[in-house]
Amino acid sequence: MVRNSKRINILMSQTISALTPVLATLAALGVFAIILMTLGANPVEAYGALIEGAVGSGNAIADTLVKATPLLLIGLGTCIAFRGGVTNIGGEGQLIVGAIAATGLGLLFPEAPGYVVIPLAMVAGFFAGAVWGAIPGALKAYFNVNEILSTIMMNQIAVQGMNFLLRDLMIDPVQLEAASKIPQTARLAKEFDLPRLVPTRLHLGALLAVIVAILVYIFLWRTTIGYRIRAVGLNADAARYAGINVKRYMVLSLLLSGALGGLAGAVQVYGVTHRMFTDGSAAGFTGGAGFNGIVAALFGQLHPLGTIPAAILFGALLVGANKLQRVVQVPSALVTALNGLVVVFVVSSEIWRRRQAKKRQLLEMEEAARATSEPDIPPEPIDGGKEVLR
Amino acid sequence: MDNPDLLLKQLSSIVLNASPLIIAVCGETITERAGLINLSLDGTMLLSAMTGFIVGYQTGSLWLGFLAAALVGMLFALIVAFGSIRLKQSQVAIGFVLTLLGDDLSAFLGQNFTRMPGSFVMKAGIPLLKDIPILGPIFFNQDPVVYFALLLVIATWFFFFRTQPGLKLRGVGERPEAAFARGVKVNRLRYLYALVGGALVGIAGAAYSLDVKVGWSEGHIRGMGWIALAIVIFGGWSPFRGAIGALLFGATKALATVLQRTFPQVSVVAFNTIPWILMIAVLVVSASELTEKFINLMPVSWRRPLRRLLRVSAPLALGTRFGED
Repeated sequence: MVRNSKRINILMSQTISALTPVLATLAALGVFAIILMTLGANPVEAYGALIEGAVGSGNAIADTLVKATPLLLIGLGTCIAFRGGVTNIGGEGQLIVGAIAATGLGLLFPEAPGYVVIPLAMVAGFFAGAVWGAIPGALKAYFNVNEILSTIMMNQIAVQGMNFLLRDLMIDPVQLEAASKIPQTARLAKEFDLPRLVPTRLHLGALLAVIVAILVYIFLWRTTIGYRIRAVGLNADAARYAGINVKRYMVLSLLLSGALGGLAGAVQVYGVTHRMFTDGSAAGFTGGAGFNGIVAALFGQLHPLGTIPAAILFGALLVGANKLQRVVQVPSALVTALNGLVVVFVVSSEIWRRRQAKKRQLLEMEEAARATSEPDIPPEPIDGGKEVLR
Repeated sequence: MDNPDLLLKQLSSIVLNASPLIIAVCGETITERAGLINLSLDGTMLLSAMTGFIVGYQTGSLWLGFLAAALVGMLFALIVAFGSIRLKQSQVAIGFVLTLLGDDLSAFLGQNFTRMPGSFVMKAGIPLLKDIPILGPIFFNQDPVVYFALLLVIATWFFFFRTQPGLKLRGVGERPEAAFARGVKVNRLRYLYALVGGALVGIAGAAYSLDVKVGWSEGHIRGMGWIALAIVIFGGWSPFRGAIGALLFGATKALATVLQRTFPQVSVVAFNTIPWILMIAVLVVSASELTEKFINLMPVSWRRPLRRLLRVSAPLALGTRFGED
């Protein structure tokens, strides 16, 4: 009997541990509610608006998924990089160069059929992002340059490049004639729009992102190269002794990570914006997807499949936030702060998880000591089997 | 640039513009020397710049503005330290998330105070010293923030290399086990120096909004935190070298403006990217093994000074956890 109750205890704590991110999200929403109340807004009304805005109608759901698409692709890149032991904060820049390459291709061949240009544009975005990721990768592997900083620098360079191209080479001819000279490209041919999945704004890119997520999962956990990337990330020295060319795999993981960022840019242009535009900053075009995607990946425990719901959650928050802003008249910046709040809560909820995991391990040890003959439940590693980073 | 007065003015403005960066670099150097990376600099500085400006604006007291900014910096540093030491989370992830949060929060909380005329630090030349030719106008005819930055560099250096607690601080960052064996409370010191560094980073943020780039608007000084992080590496975790790095960065920016005027046919973009590309180049030179090979090709007597000039090495235990308990 006693043993049974212990087992129930273990099950309970396992469930709680799995639910912690959800509970943390709820706690963050609670804190946000208090902030709303101090601003004189009704939190119930506000959250009603948020939910309605995010999932209240077919169109709302479609918008959420559209918003989640670049987050997911960037997040998948983040998974690869972090699993490979390198930190890629260059999502913004990689997204931008991918978008530039894809847009450039579409502008160069306006007459070509869509079924040729669209796939080629995706490939172009992929490769442009790969280059943008491989540079900090190579700098890290062969010149020992901190990749966190170099990816940030690469973001800045990409933004400047975009500002230059959109004011100069790639500017919309109409804008060149006009006095305003708004820095944006011409709209890509209608033929190049990514096909819509249903009669909403939901485009093929969302499906593509989910497929890529599955591919990344298979790649990381079911192929030799993926295994080696993870081995390098877990313990570079051990990987080196095992005969893995650590430097090459470092470059590879940043390269692939950047490539997915570039793909996100291409998908964004062909699926949503159909042109590029700039207000001088990175977020003017990306909407911060390059950063929010990283956060989504962290939220999804750096697991490709975990990143899918995480990206959708953040997409929903972003879309619902617009509605919330209109209904209860709170400023948009507050809403982005909500995202940050959610993440901080989830990260700090780890203390709970860990304490639970420790308790669980103690219980298991007692259990094992009492009945060594039936090891039903495999012992869990102390951190609950999930490394948040690396 | 043929007018010497103009050149002096240019140079003194470089020093003024670099002073918040110098403060931030010193702060982060202290934190990293203790083995902790506070990656949240960009967000911390934005939020503290906003806080400092608003508090200064509302109370009319610059002191309170700087104090509030320092508190914001300490709060963020505390979150990073607590997250990495107590919760055993990745410092990089926490710092990164805080960067975003600081940016967002500053945009939100400061939105009613954008583009307002606020009070700012007044210029106060030091008598006698400011009359020294050349050096006087550049360094001593400035405002108190600049003096603070310059003194801070000297004080930090002295603390690191000439005092007992400074030795302990470096020990904690280099060989925490050894320091622990000598009875040093490793994690307690890391908390302490995270707070000290965070306070300085906060002051640096306010130094922008109350002195160098007076006022507040969304994304006011976005990017400077990352620059500061890069300069810490360029500076080889030494306050003097870091200060020189900050001044050089300011100089390249000033140079870019001058070059732009001289070569108007070249796109602005080319000049805007110079500091960033230069940063990468500098990191390559100072961290790469190739530099070591290059140094070894040189005559023996050159090697030591060259190595000191070109190469840097991080505190050995930087970014690693220490399980004291």
